[in-house]
Amino acid sequence: MSNTALQMNTNSVEVHTTSGRGFTPEEIAERCANKIIAISDDANPAIRAQAHAFREQMLKTLEFYMHEAIKSDRTTVHNALTEAGHPELANYIRRL
Amino acid sequence: MAFTGNYMCTSFKKELMYGAHDFDASSGDTFKIALYTSSATMTAATTAYATTNEVSGTGYTSGGEALTPVDPTSSGTTALTDFADETWGSSTITARGALIYNSTPNTTSISLTNPAILVLDFGADKAVSSGNFTVVFPTADASTAIIRIA
Repeated sequence: MSNTALQMNTNSVEVHTTSGRGFTPEEIAERCANKIIAISDDANPAIRAQAHAFREQMLKTLEFYMHEAIKSDRTTVHNALTEAGHPELANYIRRL
Repeated sequence: MAFTGNYMCTSFKKELMYGAHDFDASSGDTFKIALYTSSATMTAATTAYATTNEVSGTGYTSGGEALTPVDPTSSGTTALTDFADETWGSSTITARGALIYNSTPNTTSISLTNPAILVLDFGADKAVSSGNFTVVFPTADASTAIIRIA
């Protein structure tokens, strides 16, 4: 006999906030990694260690490419502002 | 009275049996998340979205924001669905909890307006000042996804 239940996760919804700034790429990468991989405390120690090592490598990759995305987007914004006749503002964005 | 925990609304469970909720990511219903202050009273008995005690402030619009659903899937014998994290950017607000509701339910077999799905209790007031306010949903697997049929 099996029991079927409709369930919700009652523990894991979190709220992340910042004040006076947005999230950093590192903070977002951490969240992204948590979405991709969850590592159980009950897992076999060897597998758990491998999973943590994989997560750390993935986190570094995510951080790198998030920085790349920001740089690329700033180039796009810089060019848009320059073309719109706002070179000073464009340079401010580039130097951020 | 304040939030007293996380709940899957009882009315939602019944509405599932009427086929009122479609979680398909591309062609399904529109699910929204609205934020509430600590004055709100929400339990499993909550049946629909209401504006009473809803958060107000810079960067927040009454009714909340549309969530990005993730296609339902299965893992082992468990079916599950998920939502992408939701962020209110450049906002100045304080919220104690949230309500996820369906703004476009299937009303073929049952009369519904903005039916409630889940009540989320943040555990304490969460405040943001000129920053980002993000609700982070758990990893979508068989044991932790936000909504599961196991």
